[in-house]
Amino acid sequence: MKKLLALFMASMLLLAACSSGSNEPNGNTGSTGTDGGAQVTVWAWDPNFNIKALNIAKEAYAAENPDANINIVENAHDDIIQKLNTGLGAGTTSGLPNIVLIEDYRAQGFLQAYPDMFYDLTEHINASEFAEYKIGPTSFDGKNYGLPFDSGVAGLFVRTDYLEQAGYTIEDLQGIDWKQYIEIGKKVKEATGKDMISLDPNDLGIIRVMIQTVGSWYMEEDGVTPNLVGNEPLKEAFQLYKEMMEANIVKPNSDWSQYVATFNSGDVASVPTGNWINASIKAEASQSGNWAVAPIPKLPDHPDAVNASNLGGSSWYVLNIPGKEQAADFLAKTFGSNVDFYQQLITEVGAIGTYIPAADGEAYKATDEFYGGQSTITDFAAWTEQIPRVNYGMHTYAIEDILVVEMQNFLNGKDLDKVLEDAQNQAVAQIR
Amino acid sequence: MKVARSGMSIQAKTNAIGWSFISVAVIMICVFYFYPMVQALILSLQSGRGMNLQFVGLDNYVRLFTDSMFIAAVKNTFIYLIVQVPIMIILGLFISVLLNDSRLKFKGFFRTAIFLPCVTSLVAYSVIFKYLFAADGLVNTMLMKVSIISAPIQWITDPFWAKITIIIAITWRWTGYNMIFYLSALQNIDNSIYEAARIDGASAFKQFFQITIPLLKPIILFTSITSTIGTLQLFDEVMNITGGGPGNATTSISQYIYNLSFKYTPDFGYAATVSYAIVVLIVIFSVLQFKAAGDRNG
Repeated sequence: MKKLLALFMASMLLLAACSSGSNEPNGNTGSTGTDGGAQVTVWAWDPNFNIKALNIAKEAYAAENPDANINIVENAHDDIIQKLNTGLGAGTTSGLPNIVLIEDYRAQGFLQAYPDMFYDLTEHINASEFAEYKIGPTSFDGKNYGLPFDSGVAGLFVRTDYLEQAGYTIEDLQGIDWKQYIEIGKKVKEATGKDMISLDPNDLGIIRVMIQTVGSWYMEEDGVTPNLVGNEPLKEAFQLYKEMMEANIVKPNSDWSQYVATFNSGDVASVPTGNWINASIKAEASQSGNWAVAPIPKLPDHPDAVNASNLGGSSWYVLNIPGKEQAADFLAKTFGSNVDFYQQLITEVGAIGTYIPAADGEAYKATDEFYGGQSTITDFAAWTEQIPRVNYGMHTYAIEDILVVEMQNFLNGKDLDKVLEDAQNQAVAQIR
Repeated sequence: MKVARSGMSIQAKTNAIGWSFISVAVIMICVFYFYPMVQALILSLQSGRGMNLQFVGLDNYVRLFTDSMFIAAVKNTFIYLIVQVPIMIILGLFISVLLNDSRLKFKGFFRTAIFLPCVTSLVAYSVIFKYLFAADGLVNTMLMKVSIISAPIQWITDPFWAKITIIIAITWRWTGYNMIFYLSALQNIDNSIYEAARIDGASAFKQFFQITIPLLKPIILFTSITSTIGTLQLFDEVMNITGGGPGNATTSISQYIYNLSFKYTPDFGYAATVSYAIVVLIVIFSVLQFKAAGDRNG
């Protein structure tokens, strides 16, 4: 009995020792207010893109601040969302990073769900130097909380060899609308037997791309009122989606790897999506020279529609915890102002930022043999500036889950007005 | 008998020792089970985005009945429950009776083989199932090669087949687990009962329905309750195989809780309400099953 008690006491002591031991370094990093030395932890996803970009930023920053201590941690995107929600939701910031990457569609949700948990970057960056459409999602209450990072500018990636067989050239795809896109798709299918596009029925990204070409979204300008019923662009997008399905030019996929496989294997003729798909398209080196990028098609019959839209994209946020000044300084001196750094991002990662002064740099003008010698970066940068600004609001994914179901009903013959009305009612009930 | 020095009677002393032993467990359960449960109940009466929670009374519970996504999730879960649990229990019983046969060779091997799925990680097997059942996956390829089907079945992207895929997956994963319970119970049934039945001329069928089933009743009740609870909490498979899709054709209640707290702008209050809905359902089902099994043994 005594022995057991002794063992018990000893293990308690050990536990206590362990916990205080692990607390200490944290306490130190938090309290040292001096420049350098304090550790800045950054969370991001995608080792080939965001993490690579961060590593370049770290080097660039270290050149000026040699004793800076930047700790880059890779986490899966969903894990970051979960960890942030559990940490911030419990009201604790221990274990959370100083800097975190958040997708633009979700940014307002975080900023409004956890006020005071994010650090105001207004003083540290010059918001007017970034693409205008990125400022909406990254700011709240007139303050800039996010430092805009990659552009989700959409492009129409096409197989020029398939187009040729159908009697088209890349010139025929400049400034088209989605109706013309479907017509071309039918011809391509006739001539080559290849589908024009691959879609995942659970992901309405293509709808979002379509409606943003006229500056519309699932929500009103206020970001909280669902805008589904009577939303003309959305209605047209739904019709176009159905037309595509009925034209039999769509190859379905159910996840990302299947999606990538559809174009790597040459089964689809075009990929209308965000520029970040670039790396995945280039992964199939044997198709070099057979690809080109055209501006994204716009919605037909809208005079104010532009051939520019967005899909995805994310921005950097600083958490309001000790070390925030250090973290903000790191961001401001790299992603926030360093033109040379952005040139490096282009050449080494292929990441297109949204920092406008960087677009005049040399790297942006380079041509790409994979795309038949096209200056893709210049094109993307030009389209980025035209993207209509919309307020993504807080509920993009909640509404999309509703729309995914209603889209299936629509495809199965339900009346479109009824579809949008039902979706609107569900969305109003869901969002409160 | 000696009188205890401290003035405590032996009875009291024994009691005190007894209580001190269980107190550790009681405190642990209170801190890690009951306290969170009460907190979750309080949380379920609040609503709001992230940290901006406000008390809304029973609003969340009223909301459940008008929430089409919740209703879809409950429907799906019930379909899994009604189709999958009976299949699994009957299959488990059948296999365990086969494997209990004293004339069977390599018994150990078969038992291990059928139990093995239970030790695989939920996520790992889900991912493998997802690839097996992909449009151009192994299952479709095999069925096409032997000319059972002419076009690939959309196992993942068709609302009907997606449910079937989930049911196949959970059945594969959990049948062996239930089988083990039946096996151990079967070994407790005295062989002489069967012997007597055989002498009386009872057929194998009769033996199974008149002896095996009645004697296994408590175990069948136990496994059906645990299976029901398990199905109501279904998450990993749906999340990883279909992601709840197509549309919301396979979403389970637990996945809806996940979506409410992590996929959408978090509303932890309403998510807690949905989790309490699961608690209520589990209680109702367990009571029903006790009633149905009627009784004394339960």
